[in-house]
Amino acid sequence: MSVPADIRPRLRPGPALLVSVAAVLLAFAVGAVLIALLGVPVGDAVAAFAEGAWGSPYALAASVNRALVLMLVGLGFILAERASLTNVGGEGQIAVGGIAATALALWPPVAALPAGLAFIVPMLGACLAGALWGGIAGVLKVKAGTNEVIATLLLSFIAIWMVYGCVQSEHLLRRPMTSSATLPESLEIPAATQLPLLTGDASTPLHVGLLLGVVLAFAVALVLNRTVLGVQLRATGLNPRAARRAGMAIDRLTVGALCAAGAFGGLAGAFMLQGEQYTLKAGFSSGYGFDGLVVGLLARGSATGVVAGSLLFGFLRSGGINMEMVAQVPTALVVVIQGLIIVTLAGAALGIQRMESRRT
Amino acid sequence: MRERHAIAPGGGGPGAAMALGDAPPLLRLDGLSKRFGSLQALGEVSLELHPGEIHCLLGENGAGKSTLCNLVFGVHSPDAGSMTLAGAAYRPRSPADALARGIAMVHQHFSLVPDMTVLDNLLLGQVRGVLDRKAGAARIEAMRERYGLALDPHAKVQDLSVGERQRVEIVKCLVREPRLLVLDEPTAVLLPEEIGALLAVCERVARQGCGVVLVTHKLAEIRQVAHRATVLRAGRVAARSEAPAREIDALVRAMIQRDLQAPPAAPAPAPALARAPRAARVPGQPVREAALHADGLTVRDADGVLRLDNFTVLVEPGEIVAVAGVEGNGQSELGAVLSGMLRPGEGRYFICGREMTRASPRELTAAGCGVVPEDRHALACVTGMSVAENILLDRLRRYRRHGLLDRAGLRAAAAELMQRFDVRAASADVAFGGLSGGNQQKAVLARELTLDPLRFLLAAQPTRGLDVGAVQAVYGHIRAAADRGVGVLLISSELDELLSVADRVLVLYRGHVMGSCPTAGAERARIGAWMAGHREEEVAA
Repeated sequence: MSVPADIRPRLRPGPALLVSVAAVLLAFAVGAVLIALLGVPVGDAVAAFAEGAWGSPYALAASVNRALVLMLVGLGFILAERASLTNVGGEGQIAVGGIAATALALWPPVAALPAGLAFIVPMLGACLAGALWGGIAGVLKVKAGTNEVIATLLLSFIAIWMVYGCVQSEHLLRRPMTSSATLPESLEIPAATQLPLLTGDASTPLHVGLLLGVVLAFAVALVLNRTVLGVQLRATGLNPRAARRAGMAIDRLTVGALCAAGAFGGLAGAFMLQGEQYTLKAGFSSGYGFDGLVVGLLARGSATGVVAGSLLFGFLRSGGINMEMVAQVPTALVVVIQGLIIVTLAGAALGIQRMESRRT
Repeated sequence: MRERHAIAPGGGGPGAAMALGDAPPLLRLDGLSKRFGSLQALGEVSLELHPGEIHCLLGENGAGKSTLCNLVFGVHSPDAGSMTLAGAAYRPRSPADALARGIAMVHQHFSLVPDMTVLDNLLLGQVRGVLDRKAGAARIEAMRERYGLALDPHAKVQDLSVGERQRVEIVKCLVREPRLLVLDEPTAVLLPEEIGALLAVCERVARQGCGVVLVTHKLAEIRQVAHRATVLRAGRVAARSEAPAREIDALVRAMIQRDLQAPPAAPAPAPALARAPRAARVPGQPVREAALHADGLTVRDADGVLRLDNFTVLVEPGEIVAVAGVEGNGQSELGAVLSGMLRPGEGRYFICGREMTRASPRELTAAGCGVVPEDRHALACVTGMSVAENILLDRLRRYRRHGLLDRAGLRAAAAELMQRFDVRAASADVAFGGLSGGNQQKAVLARELTLDPLRFLLAAQPTRGLDVGAVQAVYGHIRAAADRGVGVLLISSELDELLSVADRVLVLYRGHVMGSCPTAGAERARIGAWMAGHREEEVAA
């Protein structure tokens, strides 16, 4: 990707990788000390973490699926970030994506569609719903000057509670109440609308979304670095008035960038629903949108960075869940370690940047 | 260097009778010099000011008036020379020093918090500990009684008119009981009726024994209130007057003296810049063929102040029409309207016969309207992007292959333009922000002059901040475009430059066209007087 090196203070890949790895190791080391302080044998905790993250084909696939969701949100984030827009609404975009995907998948005509359309249509619907959710923030910004950080964040809360509403009412998506024990969740979506597994074996639940995700990662990298649109987004972000003077439709670019970010979030929601959970439950998005935001922030505008960051956080989440279940390390500690990684990585990036700028 | 002699030594102006005794002057400047980079902003300026005196400081834009005020107020320190305040050495290191010694200044740009009340703005920075609003309101009331400065202490500044906001600034100064009040172009932003009130306040302040420095280039004001006047030109004292009211003509001449000696000796425009005047428009020729036809363009700002008043102009293909004037007299608004960034309140304009009044910048570009905007960094470039991306910012779509950006093609096209327009940069890939101002401007010209088609060029202050070489290059390119049949509207405050480049000049004053004449054989004194808001009959008088 040939963005001229002099334009943006890009981190050189070599030292950046080295320092990032060191930062992550440091965070793990501090995490180990904290685990020891809690009285849990560190060896047990590490073993549980490894088992949960990559100990079995199932664990590995689950970690990759988590990373995939984080990656989509992160890709959307850096796309909007290129136009200097900060989309913190990933969580809500996942939620509306999940709602749309569930509603379409449970609609009999969709499930009856031939040739894969049965699972593609709900995905597209989820993208559209996410794009709409992001687009609202975009239109508010363009028309009323509302800060997109606030708009996307508040829209997230609306969307999260919309999921609650949908699964509480039989008129919406709640499964028919047969007894007082019927859970507030949707019916399981029909098999035809679930994402096909790559191996055909449910013990390794990698689905076709992985392939699509890889394609999208390349596509985002290409758009950002190798297309006119990428340059226009950058110009719009850096100097909207000059971009307008140069004939760019900055309003459309702004709304479009937030729509695209939202579409990525919506697709992530579809992947979670159609690829793993199959039923819509309250709290279905469970923080992936906010973790994806962190991945996008740490990636510093690079699609490669998003892929790396999402894998790290995906495995961390899987391992952390197992560490809690098996080794009785509280979830809070996993969150602490995650936070430590964020702080050390961000600090390392700042350090490298200082080093580089001193050199030049 | 030697200073020029006073126009009229001695003499007694309206207020000169007071305080010219043996008492030491309130403020005395001795050989004050200040240099900014390669620009000698002030050179050996000496000046005396007595208590109770209104001293007018005159000069064209860039003559050093603001620099002088900033030295007195401690914003900058002089490179050479000394200042004495009431007989004691005075060397302020900061505005706080100046305030502590009893010098207060009203800047051209207000420093008020729009969202706060008049009272709170007044208390800002002047109280410690507990806010005593009651005492503050009493002080505002005292100001009203003493100087006739009426203000509602509880009104929000954002709801006030420009004149009222300025009154707040003045009250902010006066509550400190200063010995010396410096007003930097206070009337530039005011409506005519507000100017009268301001001048009355100045007189009242002076009558209380305070010295007043009034920076202005408006002759009527000098006539009305000045006790003495000093004219600055190119950073030096060009003239002094003890009786400015009676010597207005001499002051005008001193202010624009360089302009009276035609052709100007130094700084000489390059011979290459001289050009044969275009044939005048044949009367009755249809307006349809004009590169630009602006008809009654009128702009009011958010405060409702008239910024551009019924502006009408016809620019023929191949003609360079210059808009002269002191900055802030409607040029920015005119530029914004003609570049599609601002809708005029009234009036219309046409590019080659097509109405463009409500056109977007993109439509203007498509119609062949090139724009070199006044504020390069805000409108003409994205400093964080490469030179290549900036030079071709409006035509990136042409450099696509298989839907992807053809960086090699982009780079090559940009390199070619950089060579043609002599844009000096390490490569087309370096950040635009790293280029010198001159090279940035040449790059902007490279983009705007290579529009296809190009029928009209708006060049607003195209040489601001550029060195002599770059100025020549910029005008060379503009002239070449005109020779190809492009109509050019050149907005500039550099009288010398525009007189040597343009075919015709018109002068804006307070958004109003004061007059217009061909540049060939133009009387610089007349243009200068127009720029100062002086009608012909007054100059002749």
